[in-house]
Amino acid sequence: MTEAMWGVRLSPHWISGAVACCLAVAGCTNDPYPDTDRDAKVLYSSYVEAPKTLDPAVAYGTEEHVITGNVYDTLLEYHYLDRPYRLIPGLAEAVPDSQPLPEGRQSYRFKIRPGVLFHTDPCFTLSQSGRQTREVVAADFAFALARVADPAVNSPAISSFAQIVGLADFSKRLTELRRTQAEFAALHVQEQYARAGGIAGVVVHGERELEIVLAEPNAQILFWFAMPFTAPVPWEAVAYYNGKQGRPHFADHPVGTGPYRLSVYEKQHRFTLERNPAWYGSLPANRDAPGAAFPGNIDARDVAEGRIDASYAGRQMPFLEHIKFYREKEDIPRFNKFLQGYYDNGGIIKESFEAVVQAGRLSPEMQARGMRLDKEVEPTIFYVGFNMRDPVLGDAAGERGRKLRQAMSVAVDAKQYLELFLNGRGLPAQTPLPPGIFGYDAGYKNPYRQYDVARARQLLAEAGYKNGIDPASNTRLKLTFDTSATTASAGLPLEYLAAAWREIGLDIEISSTTYNQFQDKVRRGAYQIFIWGWLADFPDPENFFFLLECQNARSKSNGPNTADFCNAEFDRLYHEMKYRPNDERRADLIRRMRDILERERPWIELYHREDFVLSHAWLVNSKPMGISFPAYKYKDVRPQMRARLRAEWNAPVRWPLYLVLIFVVAVTVPAVRTYYRERL
Amino acid sequence: MAAFLLRRIGYGFLTVLGVLFLLFVLFFAVTNPDDIARKAVGERARPEVYAQWKINHGYDKPLFVNRNFAGSDLRRYSDTLLAEHYRRMLTFDFGRSDADDSRIAQRLWNGAGPSLSLTVPLFVLGLVAGIALALFVAFFRETYIDRAVLVFCMLTMSVASLLYIIAGQYLVGMLLKWFPISGFDSNPAVVTRFLALPVLVGVVSGIGADVRFLRTVFVEEMSRDYVRTARAKGCGDARVMVRHVLRNALIPILTNVVVQIPFLFTGALLLESFFGIPGLGALTVEAIHGNDFSTLRTLVYLGALLFILGQILTDISYAIADPRVRLG
Repeated sequence: MTEAMWGVRLSPHWISGAVACCLAVAGCTNDPYPDTDRDAKVLYSSYVEAPKTLDPAVAYGTEEHVITGNVYDTLLEYHYLDRPYRLIPGLAEAVPDSQPLPEGRQSYRFKIRPGVLFHTDPCFTLSQSGRQTREVVAADFAFALARVADPAVNSPAISSFAQIVGLADFSKRLTELRRTQAEFAALHVQEQYARAGGIAGVVVHGERELEIVLAEPNAQILFWFAMPFTAPVPWEAVAYYNGKQGRPHFADHPVGTGPYRLSVYEKQHRFTLERNPAWYGSLPANRDAPGAAFPGNIDARDVAEGRIDASYAGRQMPFLEHIKFYREKEDIPRFNKFLQGYYDNGGIIKESFEAVVQAGRLSPEMQARGMRLDKEVEPTIFYVGFNMRDPVLGDAAGERGRKLRQAMSVAVDAKQYLELFLNGRGLPAQTPLPPGIFGYDAGYKNPYRQYDVARARQLLAEAGYKNGIDPASNTRLKLTFDTSATTASAGLPLEYLAAAWREIGLDIEISSTTYNQFQDKVRRGAYQIFIWGWLADFPDPENFFFLLECQNARSKSNGPNTADFCNAEFDRLYHEMKYRPNDERRADLIRRMRDILERERPWIELYHREDFVLSHAWLVNSKPMGISFPAYKYKDVRPQMRARLRAEWNAPVRWPLYLVLIFVVAVTVPAVRTYYRERL
Repeated sequence: MAAFLLRRIGYGFLTVLGVLFLLFVLFFAVTNPDDIARKAVGERARPEVYAQWKINHGYDKPLFVNRNFAGSDLRRYSDTLLAEHYRRMLTFDFGRSDADDSRIAQRLWNGAGPSLSLTVPLFVLGLVAGIALALFVAFFRETYIDRAVLVFCMLTMSVASLLYIIAGQYLVGMLLKWFPISGFDSNPAVVTRFLALPVLVGVVSGIGADVRFLRTVFVEEMSRDYVRTARAKGCGDARVMVRHVLRNALIPILTNVVVQIPFLFTGALLLESFFGIPGLGALTVEAIHGNDFSTLRTLVYLGALLFILGQILTDISYAIADPRVRLG
């Protein structure tokens, strides 16, 4: 039939086109991965922000540590299962004890495991023709620390290593030599470090021993050896990957020793970690290394709640062949792909929270799909800060300012704030210290963090601002809440806080500016109230209280103490607490510091964020680990279960297509017939 | 024709110079090199790190006048940010991203492929579907099909693009499970799987305006004498519509269509962002969010260049489509 009864020509091309469309939809799939992945030991995950740099001396963001934490091994690492967090040996044979030295100095000696190889990489031809890898030596750690100290590298961790003897001198020498000698500046960077004399307090003893000498005792320094800043770096990689002759920069091409190597890196789109077959943990000599085998003594609760499979105890790691990360900038597609089984774990978006979590537990629908919900309060503190140099709110206002800050603190209901803006995913904070950190006291209730509007009004009156009226002007006391949040949604929490303070009579203006303008205000001290957050680098109270140390005040050292809080007694206690071991004396010091903060109120502690992680049934050994990221070597997947459930959940629904086709035909055919009947 | 082309290119070049100046003024009115450097290297970096970063990124010079040189020295004006801006843009030496130090030219090159793989099928299918539907409703003008399609077109025009994307992802990707909700893989074996949904969403969201415009053009052409003559000579409906009406309606269609072609390179902002396609549209959105001024300046400049190119191409296409149009 070439001529239809209505005069419309239905050529074989049209018919075959329509059939092809139907077949195309009939054969379609929403599976975003290649078929070859179906039975492979691949873990799928997503990320939002592209990593800025993978240089271990510079990378500081969580999105970067997901890669550097797995590509670079460190001397020490955190026990995967134990809480509170505990350091275990990584590339070091043991967690070193401190050794006292003359003049109050202290040293730590790390003995490095034998047979640790860098990932195979062409950069090693620089040191020997045809070489693809080499064994890690103590000098590679010294080189990494020299890079941290190198001002040109711009490591954010440089101040954390300031107590290493000679580090600051090395930085100065290096800068000076580069400035004054052009031929020095033209040398390879490792030669520059050698000619600058290295860091006096980083001593290499042979190939397998590294000594770190500190000017004064500092037990917290060990935590930094569990972070990629101190991971061994081959000088060849830094020299070779210089962005020239088509080679990437070292910041985009990490060469480490970790259980995984970066095999695909399209940072704006996706990246893949691939198992390192030559990882030190795979060597028979290192079978019993704490970081090489899955830990035993598994907590019964972890097993009962399905987080950990006890049969993995003692098994050699890693278990996954590949970990594939895809960039998902938008929440909704990311979450929906998780629900379809195309991501193995994920967070919960605000829009779907009620459907997924009911009364703090997984909804029956999600339970029926075999999902698991893991919660962990992260080592974080989110707070409202006051500018303590402000004449109205700060120290200069004396008791009046103190009462005003206390009143504003009592007026904020952190519980409701969490319910409104974070679906309750957080713990109202009483002090800067979150649970799991030494000094945290679950029984302590900060009297100025108990929501009570009547008391807030009373405190305000005691401050001399009865009903919020400033007697000097006889108008409501006007305060400015400074922020770099410019979108309506980001401004809502600030509106909530402002409303709480308006309720007690204050006149709060939210001053929303660009990030640069906001930073400029902070630099100039031209701000009154701000909101900020902190994710700890390591699990120690020092890493929270340093945010309020006077030496770190923004106005003094451009440090992280943005509130510009300076209290001599607090600083004295802080310095004593800082280097002490976790003993009763330290706990007492923390209590006394806490009491000062309770009274002085440089911050209104809002909450400690709680991480809610959803995992599918096929993801094994996934335990939230807020402080560290080299966790993929512990995880595993069950690909057959995943393939079966994915197929079950994602069978295409085809009937709407046929319905649409029938509808189009039903509407069109009568019209065409009528038209031709009338014309003919 | 050659003289016309040369003149148009000359005007275009002058426009480009003006655009570059405006771009420079606008960008440096909202920010300054110190702020850009501070944001890039961090608030607490040492002064020498700021200084080095500014040198590496070409922000170490004064904006308009370099007072280190005497009044008669040409370097007073040539050794400035403005001159550097012109030099870089006109020689297509775009430098490095303010946000992550990557080479902008490389990012553009990497993004062009994914963008084109989305925008070309979207453009072609959108055009074909628009013309086909417009011819169809023009043919059945004043019938309930015509009215129903026009109502449908108005509805599609009234809905925000973002809603199409979210609804498309939910309906087609989540409920019907026909295509992946988002993602991209340049592997030819699977790339269509990822492009099907964004192309479908793009075609549906844009078809309303296209059909209304094209229908008007076609209906106007259908009322002309030559159509009646063609019918009188015994031409079939399909031949009349495609060979006569469509061909004579090409000029207004080309005006609308050719100017869009250069923009295929700049990608689709929303579609790429929401569907996770690593193209130039997504790069633009990211540069805006990340205060990546160097990348944004480059993209705006390329957009202006492509717009001018589109205008010239439109003029050329007139001459090809209709010999009566005389250029010169």
